[in-house]
Amino acid sequence: MAAIHLYASVAEAFVLGLATGPVCLASCGPVVLPWMLTQPQGLERHGKRLALFLAGRLAGYLSFAVVTWSIGTALPSSWAARPWIYGAVELVLAGALLVYAAGWPHPRCGLVEPIENLVHIDVKPRRPPSGALALGFLTGINLCPPFLVAAVRAAQFSNLGSSLLFFASFFAATALWFAPVLTLSWIRRSPALVTVARMTSLLLAAWYGLSGIRILFERITYG
Amino acid sequence: MASTKARAPAYRGIARSALLTLPIALWSLLMFTPTFQSSSPNLHIGAVAVIVFMTGLFFMMMRTGSTYRWRRIFFVALGFLFPVGFITQLVAARGTMSIPIERMVSGDTPFCFMVTPSLILPAAFARTIVFPGSILPTASNPHSIAVMIGLWFAFTLVMGKAWCSYACFFGGIEEGFAGIAKRAKIRKLDPRLRLIPWAILLFVVLVSAAIYEPVYCMWLCPFKTVTEFPAVRSLTSALQFVVFIVLFAGLVVVLPFLTKKRTQCGFFCPFGAFQSIFNKINPFEIRFNREKCVDCTLCQSACPTMALSAESIREGKTLLNCMKCGACVDSCKKDAAVWHLKGTEVAVKPERARLLFLYGTWAMATMFGGSVLANSLATTLHLIHWN
Amino acid sequence: MRKRIPVVLAYAGATLTLLIAACTPFYLMGAFSSAVARAGLHIDAAYSGGTIARTYQRDGYRIVVYNPVRPHLLQGIEPFVQVVFTPVSALPAVVDERIDLDGDGLNDVHVTFAMDRRPGAKLRGNVVALNANYESLMDVGDESFSRMFVLVNNEVIVRVPFHPAVAKK
Repeated sequence: MAAIHLYASVAEAFVLGLATGPVCLASCGPVVLPWMLTQPQGLERHGKRLALFLAGRLAGYLSFAVVTWSIGTALPSSWAARPWIYGAVELVLAGALLVYAAGWPHPRCGLVEPIENLVHIDVKPRRPPSGALALGFLTGINLCPPFLVAAVRAAQFSNLGSSLLFFASFFAATALWFAPVLTLSWIRRSPALVTVARMTSLLLAAWYGLSGIRILFERITYG
Repeated sequence: MASTKARAPAYRGIARSALLTLPIALWSLLMFTPTFQSSSPNLHIGAVAVIVFMTGLFFMMMRTGSTYRWRRIFFVALGFLFPVGFITQLVAARGTMSIPIERMVSGDTPFCFMVTPSLILPAAFARTIVFPGSILPTASNPHSIAVMIGLWFAFTLVMGKAWCSYACFFGGIEEGFAGIAKRAKIRKLDPRLRLIPWAILLFVVLVSAAIYEPVYCMWLCPFKTVTEFPAVRSLTSALQFVVFIVLFAGLVVVLPFLTKKRTQCGFFCPFGAFQSIFNKINPFEIRFNREKCVDCTLCQSACPTMALSAESIREGKTLLNCMKCGACVDSCKKDAAVWHLKGTEVAVKPERARLLFLYGTWAMATMFGGSVLANSLATTLHLIHWN
Repeated sequence: MRKRIPVVLAYAGATLTLLIAACTPFYLMGAFSSAVARAGLHIDAAYSGGTIARTYQRDGYRIVVYNPVRPHLLQGIEPFVQVVFTPVSALPAVVDERIDLDGDGLNDVHVTFAMDRRPGAKLRGNVVALNANYESLMDVGDESFSRMFVLVNNEVIVRVPFHPAVAKK
């Protein structure tokens, strides 16, 4: 009986994930798509990067599953903390985008040198650090509405294992919607394209950063 | 910017120039004849002025062989006069330039073409237009989404990215400021600047699809300053307003003055990047005759949006973001930069390509830009109590 | 012959642009606009208020209730129900109505506002929620897309937000 109940819950999570997957892709898309365009061309490399990103996302989900289950029935009252968490996560995500997607200077990794002529592709851009796990983790705990819906449901389980399984099933379904991202692997990388992708990531970093500051400011000002 | 004066005092005789101008003159009369049925004498004056103006400029294009300097006169006039008419209409209708929320929920927000890229993904996947306008024209909002997109599509089929040189009613403002100083104060510009519009395009498309809001309109459009903007009623809307002012002052006034480039158009506008894609299907372009080119880089200096690089000139082409303004052609002292019809031989009958391009483009410009000018002139006359 | 094909196509393309330019004001613009209008697109419900659910006839005016608008999951607005009073000219000096929003036969909200017909006057009103599904609004004008009393184009548009507990469902 317990097994049937578990299977039903896993199925429920999977269906929920399939239904809300497009929203996950829409919310993660601004982070993932430009960042993937800065990664080297090739299906295999792309697949590895995407897999790492999704692994980071799963880690984020499961971490939150642990927290959610621990809070349990006290979850509604903990929503007062949500703006703080949301704001902080957006700020950290902005920082991560700056560091990884924009190719911030790192002792072990080089900057992309300014290229005077961006028409030809005979100058290969240096590869920046991937950041797949970090970006995946941060988008995994970004408290987007589908994630919160799953969180409320997961908190109702009687044991941690069930909560983790629920989130893993939810994650698997949403991850399916990321498959089209692999089509970016076929786009020919040029210095111009990589530069555009990096610039977009910088803009997104500014967007998330300002959004995080606004959320925290409103929380501090208005309570 | 390098001089774009005509290469010879007269390129073509008066009679021949007049003959070539005749179709445009007739077209202008045809376009503005309905205007004379109006009872407003100001509108009649505006219509006559525009007919003479557009026909006269085209005549000079034929007479001198230059395109850029005459086109620029029209374009700057459009850029500065459009806000006059538009703002006056807004103030007359609602007493303010700001859009109150009730106008948004009643579908009264006039549609601006610049938001088009942001609408694509939500429209494609959810059949939803994330813009507070109306699909069909109404009594209170004739600038509906269907009308404006229909207009934009027709223009794009005819001229590709030349929209940015002949149709956009904002670009003329910065082109005007770019033409003030004799020499640029800032001359060295990083070539990566021309990639920023693509990044902004990708950004607004993705984020607009994520949050179902026209992000460019709400946060990044400098021209809110001379058209309309969300009413300032909160910290967020106040911040938006400040951003619009800063972007306008920087990208449309100060930087064009300092660099003599169209900095908003070439280094910021995501719609321009979007419109560049349509250059691929447009039959007209500018090419370079490598046998005549001496790599003097006058064309690169003349180009207002850095649509030329040393590499592209070596290949005999412009970059994708060329807006076909003609500045490079007019500045070239060796006649190496030429108008070209794709599929024909480069530099063989370039004037024919130019004529074919100009007839279609100037006809559209007269129809749309000309009517904006006529209405704005009529409004100006009304404001100064002329009639 | 094969060398002539690109040239022929080139001039055909150029001629086509001239034809398009000539036909635009007379036919093409209308055709393109009609095509856009027939594409089955709609304005986002956060702006349009959604689709009409039911209409209640009163003495000279109508109360039009719209279907609930639940914004897209990442949109920054609350779920709401739009109610429109029209035409404004037929509204009494004080509007006091109890309205069934969900069509279950029971009144859900009590709406009151005074019609201020002075030019430029801003409308303000009250909504008292009669059940736990909706949120009460006191002296509200044009606060946000989800909570408003506004007068525009011969209509009074009222937007009543769902109660936060219901909105989260």
